[in-house]
Amino acid sequence: MENPKKKHLSPLATGLVLVAAFFGLLALINFGASSYIQRIVIGLCISIILVVSLNLTSGFTGVFSLGHIGFMAIGAYTAAILTLPLSQKLAYLPDLPGWLENTQLAFLPATLIGGLLAMLVAFLFGVSVMRLTGPYVGVATLGFLVIVNVILVNWDSMTRGARTFSGVPPFTDIWWVGGWTAVTIYVIWRFARSSYGRQMMAIRDNQIAAQSLGISVLRMRLLAFCVSAFFTAVAGSLWAHFIQSFSPKAFLFVETFAIITMLIAGGMGSISGSVIGAVGITILAEILRNAERGVNLGFVHIPPVYGASQIIMAVIFIVLIIFRPEGIMGKRELDFSRLFSFKRKKRKEAASQ
Amino acid sequence: MKKSILVTIFLVIAILATACGGKAPGGANAPIKIGVIYNVTGGQASLDVPSNNGAKLAAKEINAAGGVLGRPIEIVFYDGKSDATVIGNAATQLAESDKVVAMMGFSDSDMTLAAAPIAAKAGITFVTSGATSPKLPDQVPDYLFLACFGDNVQAAAGAEYAFNTLKYKTVYLLTDQGSEYTKLLSKYFKERYTELGGQVVLEDSYQTGDKDFSAQITKLKGASTQPDFLYIAAQPDDVGTAVKQFRDSGIDKAIMGGDGYDTPLLVQIPGKGATNVYFTTHSLMDKDVGTEAVKKFINAYTAEYKTAPENAFAGLGYDTMKLLADAISRAKSTDPKAIRDALAATKDLPGVTGQLSYLPGIRVPQKGVSMILVKDQKLTLAAEVVPEKIPAP
Repeated sequence: MENPKKKHLSPLATGLVLVAAFFGLLALINFGASSYIQRIVIGLCISIILVVSLNLTSGFTGVFSLGHIGFMAIGAYTAAILTLPLSQKLAYLPDLPGWLENTQLAFLPATLIGGLLAMLVAFLFGVSVMRLTGPYVGVATLGFLVIVNVILVNWDSMTRGARTFSGVPPFTDIWWVGGWTAVTIYVIWRFARSSYGRQMMAIRDNQIAAQSLGISVLRMRLLAFCVSAFFTAVAGSLWAHFIQSFSPKAFLFVETFAIITMLIAGGMGSISGSVIGAVGITILAEILRNAERGVNLGFVHIPPVYGASQIIMAVIFIVLIIFRPEGIMGKRELDFSRLFSFKRKKRKEAASQ
Repeated sequence: MKKSILVTIFLVIAILATACGGKAPGGANAPIKIGVIYNVTGGQASLDVPSNNGAKLAAKEINAAGGVLGRPIEIVFYDGKSDATVIGNAATQLAESDKVVAMMGFSDSDMTLAAAPIAAKAGITFVTSGATSPKLPDQVPDYLFLACFGDNVQAAAGAEYAFNTLKYKTVYLLTDQGSEYTKLLSKYFKERYTELGGQVVLEDSYQTGDKDFSAQITKLKGASTQPDFLYIAAQPDDVGTAVKQFRDSGIDKAIMGGDGYDTPLLVQIPGKGATNVYFTTHSLMDKDVGTEAVKKFINAYTAEYKTAPENAFAGLGYDTMKLLADAISRAKSTDPKAIRDALAATKDLPGVTGQLSYLPGIRVPQKGVSMILVKDQKLTLAAEVVPEKIPAP
């Protein structure tokens, strides 16, 4: 890095190239790909937002949260109640309070309100729980997930209880998820590299040493928890307007473990790792799901074995954990500025001589 | 680092290849493709595996008899994995790359609503074999049909049978608050029963998965008026436990419920307590006392899968496939629109789970309800009920 003649792109240029490449890819998918591929990309981007924001608490701050899907539920229900067309509201949610019954918002404000509400809940819950450490936080946040679920099931007038919440308008498209994915990655990337992020990592790596330096453990954890709750709720809103009908049971353990698997596979404490984990697992699961229906390899025909994809995924995950317990990326990041530098190899050779 | 990028690129190429492959040739004798999605893995498997087996058996029988319009039926099957996102993807594949002429599947409202709107958008009919919410068709205009009766029908059948035939004038109503199915069932039952003149002396609730009903039982025993019978709206997993605990506490009044009771657990868990229990379901899957159609179905199913049909959902899957085949043959075409119109005009189609007709504009079928009486751990057919009046969905 000290080499004055380095031909790396500047961070700004790298960022611009990446953003341009990302949206170019999205345009390609939006106009060129089948709606099946588009659906996969939308689901994948939502997973990226979930995993990257979970990473801020679990990976960077060391607070292992099992309750994030609760924030996703808050975002999904809040935004869905706000965007539901008025006629549908009368039919499906007749017991809403009057001011809500007559409110219909656009997608963006509804999503933002969902995110802010989740942030508020995260603050109120976090004030007491972020004082805990280690496995205790895990148990407490799991309790949070259960509380959210019980409230959703019983708050009939707002959520239709355990019944299917349907009729949500299909607002989520490639551009919305793409935009929010870019915003999430950028904000959390900058956050992790700010002095706040450094304090968070210090707390994760050695809490006592960090405290002795004057870092407020509670405040930093609370900050990470609230920011990540916001983006998790945004992902919830995107998912709600993508799937269009759901019930509280969608926001429970299955989804929780799905994003934790992506987080650990990619590497806790690495944003590019989170992206790789989400992309890799989503695409692998989709390939295996198609493959388990039976494959004709020309010389041999493999009959369909339903459920095989889940088993293979589990085996791959176990192998990964044995040989790379820190995940694919560990705590490192992809260095895109190096990726775009052409003289890299030559320099390396020069350096080794 | 470079390696992981290469791996990602490879994966993307692989998925594109998988998605684009597999185009079938057309032609006069080309198979008619019907899309089937069931959750053969995950939480819904206990209902969906029998349904799927039933559908496969029906297709096999139809093909053995010469197919439909002289063409064989080909099932294009996807596992929904009890996951709404996967189901949405699978429905998209069925409509887009497999080009099926109709779709069927599911025993759950959420799952049905994850797939049916996608089918409808592509102009393809979706028939759910076992999701009994009568509110479903309104949520997907024109293209979503039920092949089973709605919960309002079975609840009304239960209420009328209790009030008119059994002469029970008062009821204790217990509802699982954790699912749309039980909440609706209980709501429709109460509506019809009070309309008839019956009285609800006490209402109580519990949550899906509760293992202890002692609080509810104590409350019931302390009630000033004791009811003539108990209506418990429960899901399959909780039915056995609920019946056992009420019986163990000495309550021997009749207990009634919906098709959630159609599980072996109803007899296995309460043991001797499994008596004087009534429930409404699609048909009695018993080869000794069932109808001729049921007996024939049980024999064919047993020969194919080496096990008797697990529950009535096997019959529903079977009937749904036959329903679609019937619609295609009457449409004399594989055009999805023509199939939809023919399906909507189905009249008196015999099936394992009873005769099926759709009234004009209503996509929940007119179907008889089987009232089952469990007596000394044995299931018997108490009556075939067609309710006189059905609560609005």
